Amino acid sequence: MIASAIGNRLALRSQAMSWYRGRTMSLLEVNQLTTKVSGYTILNNLNFSIEKNELRVLLGPNGAGKTTLMAMITGQFKPTSGKIVFDGRDITGLAPDDIFLAGISRKFQVPNMYETLSVYNNVMVSLAGDRKVFKYLFKRITPAENDRIWEILEFVDLAERANDPADTLSHGERQWLEIAMLVASRPKLLLLDEPTTGMTEEGKRRTADLILRIAKNHTVLLVEHDMHVVRQIARDKVTVMHQGQVLAEGSLAEVVDNQEVREVYLGKGGFH
Amino acid sequence: MSQALISQVLIGLSVAAILAIAAMGLAIIFGIAGVINMAHGQFIMVGAYTAAVVGQLGGNTFVAIPVAFVVVALLGLIVERGIIQWIYDRPLETLLATWGVGIILEVLMKVIFGPELYYVGAPKILDGGIRLIGRLPYPYYRMFLIAVALVMLFVTLYIIFRTDFGLKVRSVRRNRAMSGCLGIDTARIDMLIFMYGSGLAGIAGAVLAPIKSVSTTMGFSYAVGSYMVIVLGGVGNLLGVPTGSFLIGEGETLLAYKYNAVIGQLLVFVAIVIAIRVFPRGIFGYHERR
Amino acid sequence: MENKAAQRTRVVERAPLLPLWALILGALLIAIIGSFPYLSGTNSYVLLLIGKFLCFAIFALSIDLIWGFAGILSLGQAVYFGIGAYFVALSLKINYAMTHPTRYGSKFPDFMEWNGLTALPTFMEPLINVPFAVVAALAVPTFLAFIFGVITFKRHIYGVYCAVITLAESLILQEFIIEYQAYTGGFNGITDYGNFVGAPFLWIILAVTIAFFLIARFITHSRIGTVLKSVRDNDVRAEFMGYNVANYRIFVFCVSAFMAAAAGAMYAAWVGIVSFLDTGPLFSVEGVIWTAVGGRATLIGPFVGAFLVRGLEFLLSGSWFANYWQVFMGILFIAVVLWIPDGLIGTLGNWIRKYRRGTLTQIREEQDRIAHDRQRDWEPPGAAKPGDELV
Repeated sequence: MIASAIGNRLALRSQAMSWYRGRTMSLLEVNQLTTKVSGYTILNNLNFSIEKNELRVLLGPNGAGKTTLMAMITGQFKPTSGKIVFDGRDITGLAPDDIFLAGISRKFQVPNMYETLSVYNNVMVSLAGDRKVFKYLFKRITPAENDRIWEILEFVDLAERANDPADTLSHGERQWLEIAMLVASRPKLLLLDEPTTGMTEEGKRRTADLILRIAKNHTVLLVEHDMHVVRQIARDKVTVMHQGQVLAEGSLAEVVDNQEVREVYLGKGGFH
Repeated sequence: MSQALISQVLIGLSVAAILAIAAMGLAIIFGIAGVINMAHGQFIMVGAYTAAVVGQLGGNTFVAIPVAFVVVALLGLIVERGIIQWIYDRPLETLLATWGVGIILEVLMKVIFGPELYYVGAPKILDGGIRLIGRLPYPYYRMFLIAVALVMLFVTLYIIFRTDFGLKVRSVRRNRAMSGCLGIDTARIDMLIFMYGSGLAGIAGAVLAPIKSVSTTMGFSYAVGSYMVIVLGGVGNLLGVPTGSFLIGEGETLLAYKYNAVIGQLLVFVAIVIAIRVFPRGIFGYHERR
Repeated sequence: MENKAAQRTRVVERAPLLPLWALILGALLIAIIGSFPYLSGTNSYVLLLIGKFLCFAIFALSIDLIWGFAGILSLGQAVYFGIGAYFVALSLKINYAMTHPTRYGSKFPDFMEWNGLTALPTFMEPLINVPFAVVAALAVPTFLAFIFGVITFKRHIYGVYCAVITLAESLILQEFIIEYQAYTGGFNGITDYGNFVGAPFLWIILAVTIAFFLIARFITHSRIGTVLKSVRDNDVRAEFMGYNVANYRIFVFCVSAFMAAAAGAMYAAWVGIVSFLDTGPLFSVEGVIWTAVGGRATLIGPFVGAFLVRGLEFLLSGSWFANYWQVFMGILFIAVVLWIPDGLIGTLGNWIRKYRRGTLTQIREEQDRIAHDRQRDWEPPGAAKPGDELV
């Protein structure tokens, strides 16, 4: 609690300072990003930014470009035009591994890990550190690293499964393992693409709880569809995307009240 | 000089046609079923032996083509139903299994036909050639090969793009799971495509028999040539086969003319490896979106 | 108390570097193989075979390293074996010719004379120095593998494409050797330069085998091995986890080429004959099948596979069955792929694991049950339970 309070205060201060200097100091800044795939415009002059220590929820109907945005940020695809600046560095068009080393970790929509490796090894491979081949060759696990792996495994409640191969995990456990792998890499920014899909209600609640605990000292960008989860999680700003552009941004209550959002995203229904 | 060069280009064209004929069946199988058939060379060999048998019985190449198509397609059916249908999801292991099939076929043919070489004559109409340039005759049979390559290409294009079966094939190629959900029997499509590709290998054997003595080991070099055509041309588009064959055929012929055959092959191989740095999935590769 | 309980669960199951029984068994095997020349003399054909098989086993190990642990299937591994073998064979032949003049009195290899050369080509003169030739036999293939890796892996070319390209590579090298017979001996290969069959060289082969086994063991069971396996399992995830996947592939490919080259170099010195077949696609694929039979992704598998398949071929070589040996190999290919994809050692390992902790499906079922129980506990009271009828 205290740590997060300090973190929030620091974040506020840095925001205030950047405002004072007359320019932004956001962790991630996406400027005028446009992506066209075989004639279709998926992202259209998108401007978007995340501050440090923020927990940002990204909403939007199917096809709004949320996953494409994540793919652009992590270097899976190259944008047609525009710029992505992360931590003061232009990362547009870098390779995925370089972008990871810059500090962005991404969770895929479908659980994506190393099936034959044990859960422990899955986390071990993801630990932060130099990834050069020859520096890795003689590296052994230090006690500190070992402790960190176990801490993380206990954090996501997978310590009992540590020695099982990852493909024996259930779907929900796989999602948690992937989140654990991301946390292990000490990222500056965590991108979570629908981490609760395919989970039971209990699983969703636990995942939401997990994300909140992670967000205490991480910057998180979360794509989520399930409004129960969003209500539980959205403590900071929420961004709504539509047709490759940012439609609205603000607290959850503000966004929910926004007339435009109601029209395009919720149709006639409304939040339930 | 220029005359010699032009005649070399023409020879290269027929080499390209041979490569295209050999590679067509492989490209179909690899492009749609995702299987590299390592027994492809042996399938061609079986087609050539079929032509030899047809020749012994008094038929010529024109008779041998449909017979070889049917015989090798049936062979493909047996291989597909017996082995490959179980391992479609493990492409590297289909490689090994089909290699095993190739070995067995080679020994089997040797047991049946003996170790001696067979010679198949070209049909009477295609004997001789015309003098295009200079004194070097250009055999009719080489022209026939170019024609066969073109016909095979257009028939295949017609089947894939103008028939109901081709529509299903294309949908399976694009999205296997979705096609399955829409009621397309993907296993049956795979089977038929494997049969068709094998049949094309049979035709290749039948038309190539007159230009090369028929032996049990004749197929391997054709097979490797076909793999290179596919690697260079890509399998996303059937135009990859003629393009790849043309580049490799002309390249090898012209370089062989300038240096020698082995240097030509080596340089073309190096060129292919450099080319796939630029086109990792071949020139007409289908770039998959993840 | 609670902390202690947490500590107790923090146990990583790691295979020990070498379990005691494996050490004892290995030492015993080495002693038996190493003492063979003393027991049966150096003229025995079996002795020749043992050294040969050890070289083949190293070759299979090099294939296992890239195929089993990094997911790269090379059908041209014999290129590296063959280049290593040819360097050593050429060097030995040149040296042999200097002390054993040909029929016409020339002091350079006979096959060069037959092909119209009048003196040793200048570019081959460095090979007179045997240690230099050995270094070249190891360095050149490794460098070639590096070049190949940079060209292909950096552009995400692997899997089937890589297999086909390596196959063609090996075929072209073979044709190259046949074409330039003045320098390579062509169809006949390089023969008649003596060999090293005997106890001292057998011990060298054994020592190299052990060293390579340990190196492979070190690479596959340390952190870099975990990374390699993760690249094999899911290269996309590894890339998004910051690993330069291509560099790891290049590294393991080079190590593997080095091993294959060393195996080829020792093979040439041991057997005393090298031919174009040792660089060809058939030999490459044979190495792959040894690995597959023994069990890929296990380190003992290649040894078992090479000794078993080659030993069987030797045992049956006199009988009528020898004519159908190729058919047997073909059936073996298909059978291994269809029925024992994990190979003999891999399947054995699976059985042991099953005996210890139940099959994968059992683990899955058990975990599903636990998850299901938890889920049921979570359900608020009054909710419909399975079996309750919906009104």
